Amino acid sequence: MSTPARKRLIRDFKKLQNDPPSGISGAPCDNNIMKWNAVIFGPDDTPWEGGTFKLTLQFTEDYPNKPPVVKFVSKLFHPNVYNDGGICLDILQSNWSPIYDISAVLTSIQSLLCDPNPNSPANSEAAKLFQENRREYDKRVQQIVEESWTT
Amino acid sequence: MKLTINKVRLVAAWTWDAGDDACGICRNAFDGCCPDCNIPGDACPLVWGNCKHPFHLHCISKWIGAQSSEQQKCPMCRQDWKFEARK
Ligand SMILES: [Zn+2]
Ligand SMILES: [Zn+2]
Ligand SMILES: [Zn+2]
Repeated sequence: MSTPARKRLIRDFKKLQNDPPSGISGAPCDNNIMKWNAVIFGPDDTPWEGGTFKLTLQFTEDYPNKPPVVKFVSKLFHPNVYNDGGICLDILQSNWSPIYDISAVLTSIQSLLCDPNPNSPANSEAAKLFQENRREYDKRVQQIVEESWTT
Repeated sequence: MKLTINKVRLVAAWTWDAGDDACGICRNAFDGCCPDCNIPGDACPLVWGNCKHPFHLHCISKWIGAQSSEQQKCPMCRQDWKFEARK
């Protein structure tokens, strides 16, 4: 069945394959174009370097008029990521635009890693450490990076 | 709401006057149609906002229709969406 949402997701997939942004990979699950698995690699020269963070993206038939639900599967310690992996990012909520595609979503999440927004904390401990004790924060991030290799 | 028409342009060529770009919402070429239609042309027209961003009428209508009235922004530039009057 080829609905507008599915056609768009196939286009997104082709674009991601032909022109992959650095540090990002993603593909739909077998037999289900509406559900994607993705990996974001921690950017070099940041505390996140070397990390491989897995995510899932769940789309609806309203895509691209509605954003996907994006969740980290890997454990994360980040001011804007909830304990259950949910992400607090404006473009995935109120600032969503139908011109975004999967590459844009994943690229935005990748830049959120190193550039958190402490004003909308989803993890208050991470937000507090990020603002008040950057050394300890970086240490916790490095732990998460190491854990990302085994999960 | 007040609609001011700043400029009216006449477009007579068959190809849509939007360069050879693709619609930002569905990513289909402007010379093709939106994913809900099968035949490009008058049945699946292009429209422009006052901000000059073009979309398939069907694509932008779906997006605008899903937003509350104060949230009806152009997907490209986030200015308030107003259909530009063209002939
Ligand atoms: Zn379109
Ligand atoms: Zn159409
Ligand atoms: Zn615009």
